[in-house]
Amino acid sequence: MWPLSESNVASYFKSLTQKPAFLFIIPYFLVLLLLIAYPLYTNFYQSFQTESGLSLENYKNLFKNPLFFKILGNTGIWVAASVGLQFVIGLGLALLLNQPLKGRAIFRGIILVLPWATPDIVAAVAWKWMYNDMYGVFNDILVRLGLINTYLPWLGQPNLAKLAVIIANVWKGFPISAMLYLAALQTVPKDLYEAGSIDGVSTWQKFRFITLPLISPFILTTVMLTVMWTINYFPLIFTMTGGGPANATDTLVTFAYRKAFRFMDFSGSAALSTFTFLVILVFAVVYTRYLLREEEK
Amino acid sequence: MYRKSLITILMTVCFLFGLISVGGAQEKLVVWIGGHVVEQEETWAKIVEDFEKQSGVDVEYRLIGFEVYYDSLVTAYEAGEPPDVCFADLGGWVPTFASQGWLEPLDDWLASWEGVDQIWENLWPTVTYEGKKYGLPWYTDCRLLLYNKIMFKEAGLDPDDPPQSWDELLEYAKLLTDASQMKYGYGVSGAMSETTTLGYMIFLFGAGGELLTSDYRQAAFNTSEGLEALKFYTDLYTKHQVSPPGTPGYTEDDYRTMMAQNRIAMAIGGPWSFPLIELANPEIKGNYMVATHPYLREPASVLGGWASVISATSQNKEIAWEFIKYITSYDVWVYWIEQHGGPMPTRIDVCSDVPQFQDPKWKVILDTFPYAKVRPPIPEWPEVSHAIQSMVQRVLTGEMTSEEAIEWADNEVNAILGK
Repeated sequence: MWPLSESNVASYFKSLTQKPAFLFIIPYFLVLLLLIAYPLYTNFYQSFQTESGLSLENYKNLFKNPLFFKILGNTGIWVAASVGLQFVIGLGLALLLNQPLKGRAIFRGIILVLPWATPDIVAAVAWKWMYNDMYGVFNDILVRLGLINTYLPWLGQPNLAKLAVIIANVWKGFPISAMLYLAALQTVPKDLYEAGSIDGVSTWQKFRFITLPLISPFILTTVMLTVMWTINYFPLIFTMTGGGPANATDTLVTFAYRKAFRFMDFSGSAALSTFTFLVILVFAVVYTRYLLREEEK
Repeated sequence: MYRKSLITILMTVCFLFGLISVGGAQEKLVVWIGGHVVEQEETWAKIVEDFEKQSGVDVEYRLIGFEVYYDSLVTAYEAGEPPDVCFADLGGWVPTFASQGWLEPLDDWLASWEGVDQIWENLWPTVTYEGKKYGLPWYTDCRLLLYNKIMFKEAGLDPDDPPQSWDELLEYAKLLTDASQMKYGYGVSGAMSETTTLGYMIFLFGAGGELLTSDYRQAAFNTSEGLEALKFYTDLYTKHQVSPPGTPGYTEDDYRTMMAQNRIAMAIGGPWSFPLIELANPEIKGNYMVATHPYLREPASVLGGWASVISATSQNKEIAWEFIKYITSYDVWVYWIEQHGGPMPTRIDVCSDVPQFQDPKWKVILDTFPYAKVRPPIPEWPEVSHAIQSMVQRVLTGEMTSEEAIEWADNEVNAILGK
């Protein structure tokens, strides 16, 4: 509280009155500590554990493994494509659902909630069946539409498998993006559009100069969150392809799972998890800084 | 105000300690039984109850489905809170767990157990790690050719005369394949799955090859036999196309389901397949059969199954031994077969005595079993198996030729074993 000034003294007394509030959050804080900080610490510690004590060996092995870079590339494609498509489809759908429309609530309910509320494993198994190369409905539709001539082995060919898991993930993930964008669109004051109409601006200009600037903070938040979720998203890929064929759909998390639970290489897996954590941390820090800056405004 | 917050803190602390103390005390024998299927629930209840009556010990047992069993087990061991007794996959998990120091060696107890001679000879290596036995094999099985009789008849083949050689296998598979009808002759396991390794192993052994050297310290499949096997196995898909287009994503289990729908004529299967294929389509009953898998030079099969193991940290090791001795006894096994008809007991006396095994399918199984080899009982096995899976997948997806892939896998496996 130095130097003593009127405002410093005032804030000191203010902080005193807030003290019980801190006590009230202690239980919550302890649970967080137990459930997040402790596992995080154990993982971090274990990532340095080797037979000959603590060292950087696990990290060295990780970066020496050629598979690691393939998997890093896979994760990049998986995240960029999933998040990109979820953004485009989510925003497009939100714009459509924001139009005055009869039965809008029902549409919103069905389109938005259904894929998102489907349990991961159920969705993954359903997609696996739909992609089946012998009796999958996906192939059937494409053949009927005349887009392909013969059934494709969606999960049996490396590039197709990449595409297939991304499509499934976009389906699973776009509703949450769309919901957030829809909420954002509803914060845009209607009179701005009316003013725009009077000035005779086009629909595109309205979107470009009114909608987009006003919802851009929401877009950033949503994209950041989906990036973090997608990096960490495990069940869909694991159930659909197990990382195959030929590691085409292996990502950081499926690789870490296999290292620990199949190969018993817990320390190596911990190193990989720590690496993944750092990648996500970068996004989290950028995002948090942005949030704080917004709050200050 | 402060008193209130104090109460909050106290309550939180009590809550946390409560959690810990619940996890602490353990007075009874804790048993985990993996690979649970609903039909076996009552049988296990009866077996456990009889043991409790006989021994006066409380048994707390959990039946766990196969899908989550392995992860639950590894997590429990890693956390230092494993069950006293559990089932572990023989060959695969037992040596892996033993190498982590999780299991208790059973040699002293086995030395004085009268049942030792009744256990099939080729099962002991599956539970041995560094010269010590860490598990008592409970049930076993071996891999065979599973085939669809209806499809054989439709293709004009004799359903009682399955292929015996590789040449016949290919010839039959071509006759049985009709891609326009989405019917295929032979299902090549190609997914990132243990079944892909097992598929390759059956062809490798059938060609007279070996996977690893006899001390398990080096790869031994990079030979002309190994290459022959890899080529034949992958050609079925890439060249002859008698395996469906989605082969790199399919396992034995997928093919079994397709066989039930009359879409796959032949695939690798075993005794465990019988109830499952009938579950997928009850009408298939009586229309499928097993045979020794076709081979090039010598009959080949790979065995698997469960072994009972005791945790190194268990406080009740004597009782645990009593329990696994009891469930592996002649009487319990005969009772089990009466109830379920299978799987195949690890005891020779039960296999030859029970009337249920006079069935032609079981005759094939018992005839093939002596040829069955074990998956290398080494802790590195999951990694080695993964390398074999990658090798097969690389050829199936056209990323490498068989020659390149086998060279790559040879290096990979030697690197894993040389660590």
